[in-house]
Amino acid sequence: MSDEREPILELRNINKSYGSVKALTDVSFKAYAGEVIGLVGDNGAGKSSLIKTISGVHSPDSGELIVDGVARHWKSPHDSMAAGIETLYQDSGLAPDLTIGSNIFLGRELEKKGVLGKLGFLDQRSMERKALEELEKVGITVPLSKRTVSQLSGGQRQAVAIGRAAMWAQHVIILDEPTNHLGARQSLEVLKVISAARDQGLCVLFISHTLPHVLEVTDRIIVLRLGRVVKDAPTSDFTVETLLGTITGLNT
Amino acid sequence: MSTVETPVAANNDGPPLSPLRRAATFATNQQFILFLVLVGVMLFFDLHNSRFFGTSEFTNLLVDFSEAVLIAAAEMYVITSGGIDLSVGSTIAVSTVVGAYAIQYLEGHHFGEFPSLLLGTFVCAGVGAVVGTINALLITKARLVPFVATLVTLSMGEGLALVFSKGGTVGYDPAAAVWSSTGFWIFRWLTLMVLAVTVVLGVVLHVSRYGRYNFAIGSNPFAARAAGINVNRHVASVYVLSGILSGLTGMIWYFNSSGGAPQNGIGNELEAIAAVVIGGVSLVGGVGRFSGIILGVAILTVVHDGLVFINVATTWNEVVVAGFIALAAILQSLSAGTKRRA
Repeated sequence: MSDEREPILELRNINKSYGSVKALTDVSFKAYAGEVIGLVGDNGAGKSSLIKTISGVHSPDSGELIVDGVARHWKSPHDSMAAGIETLYQDSGLAPDLTIGSNIFLGRELEKKGVLGKLGFLDQRSMERKALEELEKVGITVPLSKRTVSQLSGGQRQAVAIGRAAMWAQHVIILDEPTNHLGARQSLEVLKVISAARDQGLCVLFISHTLPHVLEVTDRIIVLRLGRVVKDAPTSDFTVETLLGTITGLNT
Repeated sequence: MSTVETPVAANNDGPPLSPLRRAATFATNQQFILFLVLVGVMLFFDLHNSRFFGTSEFTNLLVDFSEAVLIAAAEMYVITSGGIDLSVGSTIAVSTVVGAYAIQYLEGHHFGEFPSLLLGTFVCAGVGAVVGTINALLITKARLVPFVATLVTLSMGEGLALVFSKGGTVGYDPAAAVWSSTGFWIFRWLTLMVLAVTVVLGVVLHVSRYGRYNFAIGSNPFAARAAGINVNRHVASVYVLSGILSGLTGMIWYFNSSGGAPQNGIGNELEAIAAVVIGGVSLVGGVGRFSGIILGVAILTVVHDGLVFINVATTWNEVVVAGFIALAAILQSLSAGTKRRA
């Protein structure tokens, strides 16, 4: 990572406390377009607090959050979405009873042209077609976008959810444990979609406990311990053993 | 296998469906079966009494259908959004009574018949909107589960209808009776209006943004919220809509029985829920076709009226309805089973 480039996302000395519990202490890092950053740490290390700060679920007590060169103060997750950051939480995901196309456009539906559109009529055909096109861009081929999400496998669902985030994000996608509860082969599908999103020029923050996945898909790893960044280094510097040691604090 | 290029297609649901499988899918389509059941039931009644397919019987069928269809539609909106509304029946009772007082008052103060009836309709809808708003507040602000919240308004509505009416029928309105019995062919004007509203409700549910959000919230409220949908506001609006439709149904009862009786509509929430279940709507939300509940209401109406028509004691009605609910529920669980195996 050359320092010549302008970071797409930068955190400067972010602090966050819940009552007397200090969740984040002076967290600083830079993230660039076209890279996948692994965000790892033990339970309670501050991963959730950090992604909630970046996605606007809550505000930091102090510190600066800079996106695309502009200092930001989110009032709600809507603000971060408008600034080009999409977050995929563990349990939010997709609406299983809606079609793939409807899920991709959920909350951003296309309306028919003219009077019908003004009355709130949706242009389902265009949505289904565009959903297929956009998913293909990140390497996801779904045979029929009219299929409901409940008819997909767990890996396909997660791939579609990430495809959705990649489609709408201009700058950053945050993925919270996207390979949780998935089998080896299904995880592989998800990791490929993450790589494809990076190749599209997005910055991906990948939060996971599954260290082999982190080592496989990320370019750089940021290790959090007790609310502090204890290591920020290229992925090639780590093995599973040294990464585990850094997370637990056995070696630094 | 093109696993590399198409990770998602790679482990798809296997080979395309065979023609036989496809035919089986169509034959087990719940809407198709419901339609066959409806036709079968009608033929059955006609075999027992050949006047069943007559204009006067069809006129009555449509009148009874119009008394039931709006609250079934209301229940469908609420259930697909992930809730339930037990208060639709008692809202009919309380709105029909209050509406009857309003019309009595207006006609007593030299408003014409038609303006009085029109204003009375607004009063009924308004009473329904108030009940719906109470449901909405109990659910979205006091965080009660919909079952409990609407159980509260169910009891409240039943009680208030009796209190307001002092137990008797309010008003007797020959004008309403005359007006509600006119129309053309098998349609009465009131029936046509109800059918028009029903069509609008069906279209809104399936092709508009509002309907899309309704299914999304019923399917996964967390995903809906993460997608930027104001879930609380939508849920509140669904209960208000349900209240308004129940209030309008109160007005239909007023017209058809020429007065506001406190027992109008009591218990009808169960018929509405039965129609929704028969129509193949999932009670946990997110799934259902509007055409299903139309068929559900039609089947229940035909059975109800047909039993009378072939001189079977009306007391048998509930037993036959129970059979239909069981049949529909079993069909639904069987087809859910095939979906899982696919």
